[in-house]
Amino acid sequence: MIGEQQLDVTAAELRERALSLFGRSLHIRTVDTGSCAVCESEIRLLQAPHYDLHRLGFFFTPAPRHADLLLITGPCVRAFDNALFEVVNATPDPKAVIAVGACALGGIYPEDEFVHGALDRVVGVDVYIPGCPPSPLALLQGLLVAVGRLEERVSELSLDLDRGGP
Amino acid sequence: MLWFLRGLRRGIVTTRYPDAIDDWTSTLPSAPAFRSAVLTDLLAARLQAACPTGALRHDAGVLVVDLGSCTGCGRCIAAGGGVVESSGEFLLSARRRDDLIKRIPINATAAEPFGGGH
Repeated sequence: MIGEQQLDVTAAELRERALSLFGRSLHIRTVDTGSCAVCESEIRLLQAPHYDLHRLGFFFTPAPRHADLLLITGPCVRAFDNALFEVVNATPDPKAVIAVGACALGGIYPEDEFVHGALDRVVGVDVYIPGCPPSPLALLQGLLVAVGRLEERVSELSLDLDRGGP
Repeated sequence: MLWFLRGLRRGIVTTRYPDAIDDWTSTLPSAPAFRSAVLTDLLAARLQAACPTGALRHDAGVLVVDLGSCTGCGRCIAAGGGVVESSGEFLLSARRRDDLIKRIPINATAAEPFGGGH
């Protein structure tokens, strides 16, 4: 019988090993589950010379079977369910799933008969990138957090200007 | 797109991020930050009404801010009358969704700080 603490330690070790496998060559597949395409516009800007994500070892691939990481935007329209599950299942393990933008984080659309309203109601999410749209630098930070090359900082962030605000 | 054009204007081709953060980033639209010492229940209720995505919720004695829902539209800053400012924060990636939910205590009891919004 494995204790819960032991399980946490094992999970953390496994995650670290998976992340080290990604090294400095990681392929990204983007999935649009019904976004307004502004998130896609910002994702595309990552390839522009100003952000130049290739210098950090990230590359885009059109094939989910070649991908290590999924950048998923949009509020998860139900009509897209089959395609979304196929992409997620076709991506080999270990993989990372990033929810991009306020729609995918559940901020814009409530759950109803047309949309799930948030990505983590449908598939497991490793990193959340807020923003409407998230800027290319925010996306870069999310990618680096997802592969463990940067620590996230939002958990320590205070929005209270009278108590050590940002 | 706005970001891209500002980056171009600097004349330096590639950003140094993650080694250094560009100085122009803090001036762009971002999530709000609050002066809790002068935040009142009245204003918190008004901020909740002003927020188009429900990112601001007024609870008993606390204003709950969901950064994941915030679109940085600035309506709370316009309605906040100086109590709400732009935070300039954009590196908000989180491993847990709950980390994006911030609680701002409501400390002031005065009816209208700074004459309130409009």
